[in-house]
Amino acid sequence: MRSWLLALWLLLCASLTNVAAAGLANPRSMTFPPLAYTIPRSERVLLANGTPVYLLQDHELPIVTVAAMIHTGSVYDPAKKSGLAAMTGSVMRDGGTVSLTPHQLDAELEFMASSVESSFGTDSGTVTMTTLTRNLPRTLELFNEVLFRPRFDAQRLEVARRQALEAIRRQNDDPKALADRELVRAIYRGHPLGQVPTATTIEAITRSDLIAFHQRFVRPDNLIITVSGDFDRNRMLSQLNRTIGSVHPSTPLRLPAVAQVRTTDKAEILYADKDINQTVIRLGHLGITKDNPDLYAVRVLDFILGGSFTSRLMMEIRTNLGLAYNVGSDFEIGRRFTGTFTAETETRADSTTRVIGLMTGIIARIRTEPVSEQELTLAKDAIINSFLFGFTTPASIVMQQARLEFYGYAPDYLDRYRERIAAVTRADVLRVARNYLHPEAFKLVVVGDAKRFDRPLTSIGTVHELAVP
Amino acid sequence: MKHLVSVYLLIVLLAMALPLQAAGLDDKVIEHSYPNGLKLLMVERHTSPTVAAWIRFKVGSVNERSDERGVAHMLEHMLFKGTKTLGTTDYAAEKPLLDKIETTAQRMMAEQAKGAKADAATVQRLEQKLAEQEKQAEKYVVKDEFFDLYARNGGVGYNAFTAKDGTTYLISLPSNKLELWAAIESDRMRDPVLREFYTERAVVMEERRRSYDAEPSAKLWETFLAACYQAHPYGQPTIGWMSDIRFLSRTKAERFLHRFYAPNNAIIAVVGDIQPQQVIALVGRYFGNIPPGTPVPPVTVQEEPQRGERRIEVIGDAEPEVLIGFHKTALGAKDDEVFDVISAILGQGRTARLYRSLVIQKQLATDVSTFTAPGNLYPNLFLLAATPRAPHTAAEVEQALLAEVERLKKEPVTPHELQQVLNTLEYEEVRQMGTNSGLARNLTEYEATAGSWRFLTSYRAKVKKVTPADIQRVATAWFTRTNRTVGILTKNGNGRAHQ
Repeated sequence: MRSWLLALWLLLCASLTNVAAAGLANPRSMTFPPLAYTIPRSERVLLANGTPVYLLQDHELPIVTVAAMIHTGSVYDPAKKSGLAAMTGSVMRDGGTVSLTPHQLDAELEFMASSVESSFGTDSGTVTMTTLTRNLPRTLELFNEVLFRPRFDAQRLEVARRQALEAIRRQNDDPKALADRELVRAIYRGHPLGQVPTATTIEAITRSDLIAFHQRFVRPDNLIITVSGDFDRNRMLSQLNRTIGSVHPSTPLRLPAVAQVRTTDKAEILYADKDINQTVIRLGHLGITKDNPDLYAVRVLDFILGGSFTSRLMMEIRTNLGLAYNVGSDFEIGRRFTGTFTAETETRADSTTRVIGLMTGIIARIRTEPVSEQELTLAKDAIINSFLFGFTTPASIVMQQARLEFYGYAPDYLDRYRERIAAVTRADVLRVARNYLHPEAFKLVVVGDAKRFDRPLTSIGTVHELAVP
Repeated sequence: MKHLVSVYLLIVLLAMALPLQAAGLDDKVIEHSYPNGLKLLMVERHTSPTVAAWIRFKVGSVNERSDERGVAHMLEHMLFKGTKTLGTTDYAAEKPLLDKIETTAQRMMAEQAKGAKADAATVQRLEQKLAEQEKQAEKYVVKDEFFDLYARNGGVGYNAFTAKDGTTYLISLPSNKLELWAAIESDRMRDPVLREFYTERAVVMEERRRSYDAEPSAKLWETFLAACYQAHPYGQPTIGWMSDIRFLSRTKAERFLHRFYAPNNAIIAVVGDIQPQQVIALVGRYFGNIPPGTPVPPVTVQEEPQRGERRIEVIGDAEPEVLIGFHKTALGAKDDEVFDVISAILGQGRTARLYRSLVIQKQLATDVSTFTAPGNLYPNLFLLAATPRAPHTAAEVEQALLAEVERLKKEPVTPHELQQVLNTLEYEEVRQMGTNSGLARNLTEYEATAGSWRFLTSYRAKVKKVTPADIQRVATAWFTRTNRTVGILTKNGNGRAHQ
């Protein structure tokens, strides 16, 4: 069989080789047919009570996705009840609805192979549903029930509470998760974004807290609906108008004010002791918000410094020196609150301070001289040419467009994104590197076994040891 | 040759005869086989002007000999390093340096292999020489040129992964750039050069420290698998043990590479905004003249039947975890779908038996799951995993898991439970067609492990035939004490693991 295959291949090869040689292009110089890409448009409609709905029909597959984006989140957690938003988000779904017990809701959804899920993050919450088209009417009813008439079953709240307590007991098991969390706490110290639930705050949360939190935030004038997939527009709108569009809150919407994050320039070194042969290193400080006009230059900087496989951090620490598997940095752009700049890696214990030195050195250097023309071009081409991957499913298209309104982006943000990236210059990158990277103000978190480090951390600065139970 | 041409024509005709709005996957996949053994699967989807291209080699860590454990994964890293024309400014000048590096590395490893009797000074001298020579060779290296070429052209998700049964290289590109993929990947299949080998080997050691040594639950998994398999290579870690990695060489890697990484062991899936006839021609032009290699031979060693319960413990700086595994059949074997039905009834969703019992009612655990691992091609394991909730112990959780397993033997499952499994499968059949990458993944995976991607479309009909009696029969036959391995992650009393 095998010799037959080989003989056949040799036979064919003779005739193919010449043709093949003629038609093969060099990847370094090859050119491509143009691809003009415009973002598909979703339709924006207001329900009878003013709730915005974004719709995009696509009948390729018999599936429908509906989502509600809600202005809420853990930034509204009272300090003494940290974890309230997350708990509300999870028990809103797990705890059943006014008309269905938790088990009835689970059973009915799962038998249809439909899903309704809800979760609240730091500055937003989502409730999403997916279903086969034939189960759309009933799944949409259940989605609406979860959204506006959750039961917050007391027993399920206790299950969720106990799970949260167990998660807290386990929160230091993974040294990377431990370091990530401590870095966020250090960067946002004093702001709700830096709050982390403890056993005490989880114990303090009551069922009426959940109900009040839900009532305060989950209301038609505080959310946006997205619909995508295989649905009929008019029927969908009439069902949404019957359910969501007919709800008129009796009190005006009043979201509690949350202060903007305050910048500090105090460097810190935080160390947690773990018996591991590889040290986890995290560092960073506050970054920018989406409203900053330097956003585009920061995106380019981000790609060059630590955002790609051939970024400066990756190239030096991994590719050239073999000191890490994972290394990179990231400007997380804040939407409502100032975001972060963070860098991360893990390296063998005996190269710990060497790698910290390399990371801070590489970051400091990008502030002193302009990036090369090649680096700039690669970053801009990569960002511009991969832009369309943000829009590969009907659900992602409609979500991207709804997010503009939800977070208050300029309406032309997506349409002009590529041209604004294209306009970034080497001088811009240098300017934003100087403005938004401050190695002297880094919060540095190190998790590992100090006895095995190449040099003591105290050689870098004053070390504060974190109590890790 | 005539035979192949007629098959080709048949497929072309079949493809053209398809109705335009075909519903299921069966009607959407277009297959093509090349004379050198390469298999191409395509699905046309015009949701966005993008395309996903996956190449799966039917070779993974299961095909490694004991002195080359970790080499399939090491090669996954090395195949990002370029070819004779990419990743280098001058291969002719570079090659002698690469050979010098290998000579030094071989001498270094020969000395290191003496273990305690190795001469430390010699090892150190050779290590230093190796580093210097790699530094010298660097002047010819164009670092990660594949990545830069893909990135500047808008490629995303450029990656690879190694599993027990296979190795996959993947990328998504704007659809006008598909020829770039064909040019790079055919060059990588034909003429790869494993430059920067020993620096990359250090990266792999960091990967191992990160993914296993510093992660107690992964350490439990690795130890557990090794205990489940005494003979079959499914028990060895894909990444290799640390000492395996320390003795991987470019010579070993090239031997493995040249044996198996050839078109007759490869399956390509191209899914997205494509014209299939053009893709058939494109792939033929670029990959068609790559010579076939040795077909990957089946692994003949079989695990001996287990003769009693095995228990392992890993002590780590982490809260407890429980794993229970039963040996079972390979993918596609008779009754194998029965295990999948059991897995769904026990572990899928909030209505699943284990979730209802252990998480909601008894609240012994915060998390339960059931799954099949570590591969598909050879007899594998049916697994139950749970995270105990303090103050409940791993022992309590283990008993509760086993009680649900016993229940399967004693009482038949309900028709409602079976119907729910089928309903979920129906949804999954549709959902998997919603992304180019997901579809490319499934097509390559099942073509490689089940022998045909059609496994995906014939599977639900098989499941439909599973009866409550089948479940009792299979549970009774396989879920026995003697066929079981239990793994427990235990927290060391003082919070630090034993040295």
